[in-house]
Amino acid sequence: MLGILQFLKGYVRMKIWGVSPERFLNLCSNKNILLWDIRKDGDVYTMCISLSAFLHLRPIARKTGVRVVVLQKYGLPFLVPGLLKRKIFIAGLFLCVAFWIVSYRFVWDITLEGNYQITQEVFTDFLTSQQVRVGMQKTDLDISALEKEIRRAFPEITWTSVKLSGTRLEISIKENDTPMFTKPEVPEGGQNLVSEYAGVITSMIVRSGVPMVKIGDIVEEGTLLVEGRVPIYNEDATIREYMYITADADITVEHSITYQDTLPATYIQKTYTGRRSSRPFVRLGSREIKLPQERPYLVYDTVIQGHTPMALEKLSIPLSWGQYVYREYMNVEHEYTLKQAEALLMEKELQFLKTLEEKGVHIIEKDVKIEEGNACWTMEGWFLVDQPTGRAVNIVLEETVPEVGE
Amino acid sequence: MKKKQAEGPSRREALIDSLSLPKDILLGALRVTLTGSQEAWVENYKGILEYTECQILLQGKNCQVCFEGQRLSIEYYTNEDMKISGCIRCVRYQ
Repeated sequence: MLGILQFLKGYVRMKIWGVSPERFLNLCSNKNILLWDIRKDGDVYTMCISLSAFLHLRPIARKTGVRVVVLQKYGLPFLVPGLLKRKIFIAGLFLCVAFWIVSYRFVWDITLEGNYQITQEVFTDFLTSQQVRVGMQKTDLDISALEKEIRRAFPEITWTSVKLSGTRLEISIKENDTPMFTKPEVPEGGQNLVSEYAGVITSMIVRSGVPMVKIGDIVEEGTLLVEGRVPIYNEDATIREYMYITADADITVEHSITYQDTLPATYIQKTYTGRRSSRPFVRLGSREIKLPQERPYLVYDTVIQGHTPMALEKLSIPLSWGQYVYREYMNVEHEYTLKQAEALLMEKELQFLKTLEEKGVHIIEKDVKIEEGNACWTMEGWFLVDQPTGRAVNIVLEETVPEVGE
Repeated sequence: MKKKQAEGPSRREALIDSLSLPKDILLGALRVTLTGSQEAWVENYKGILEYTECQILLQGKNCQVCFEGQRLSIEYYTNEDMKISGCIRCVRYQ
């Protein structure tokens, strides 16, 4: 730090000799002049002194009969006059500084992280509609307003953070992991619960409504399970009126599900030939400059290898370069072996079972077989499952008025 | 009576001792701090009497101190303190 200050203020290395150099040193210290790196080479003393103090040395030197000669000049005050003569250098330095200062006023990159359901394109369109784009001025950006607008426009976003890091706008969001439920509309006339499957009732917990079946009953698809029309009785056990409610119950039915899945006997696999070609490009903002090239191969895929420079680790520049790498491949047809087919079909079956379990279905028994069919592998079988049932059906109001007891 | 004063500390020194006050400030005594044999910090001096590569002689208020050694140089020199560096062989009070 001291060295930097000395450099900024400027200092000289001088040599003194004469009648009484020790007295010269003492007088300097009495006048609060700092001397450092004092050495003696024969009859001559060399030392460093700040530029401002050097200008006050004349009376001291005269008083002590000492001669002072400057050996070397150091620091910015001596450097600037030399630099000023190099006009192109100064102009370049000025332009460079001006470029950084002007560049720093704009947003040159926008990053988004934490998005799973919302795609990058959707979010980019939203930002464009909010006048937030690459190349905008930082002063036009209202971060807190943008955060509020993001939360308002995307209800599934539970947390938002927008910050400017250098010239990069970093947007972090957190989406709601749990699915969003909407309150179902309750119909005026009430709802019944009917069976969705044909089978045997294995459990039944009714929360509202009149149960029409019991555990162990065999039901068909569409059989009324719980009625939403609840009778209200008089004291003499006659029905006074009906109250229409939405029937609610947890009912499970044991029934069998048939399962069938097929797998083609052959599959296509990419086999790279090893031939590849590249095509360099330079991207300036949204414009891309690349060399013209014919279709490189008959069948190929493309890999983009890009490089975006970052100045001072923060300042992103709207300039990137890289190359398109084209890799030739051939579509080669292979046949599944029995083991491969079994493994793939078993995996698909496991996926199906997992989907059932997520729906609350309990697998009691299963029987599946894999057979080689005509140009395909087939997996067939059945599962005996215990599955929740109960589909809500609106009650059709009858015109007839129920009997009213006296 | 004079003989007695020469043998023991003066009244002023005795008073400063009893009050546990810093002697270097009140008596103007030289304060020399040595770090190994390479560096020495000196305070409360009046000035430099002699400076060569082998010897630096300093004037204090009551005495003189002489640093003897080889390749002696003064790192910095102000009105308050100074730093001597080099190969210091002995510090002698005169």
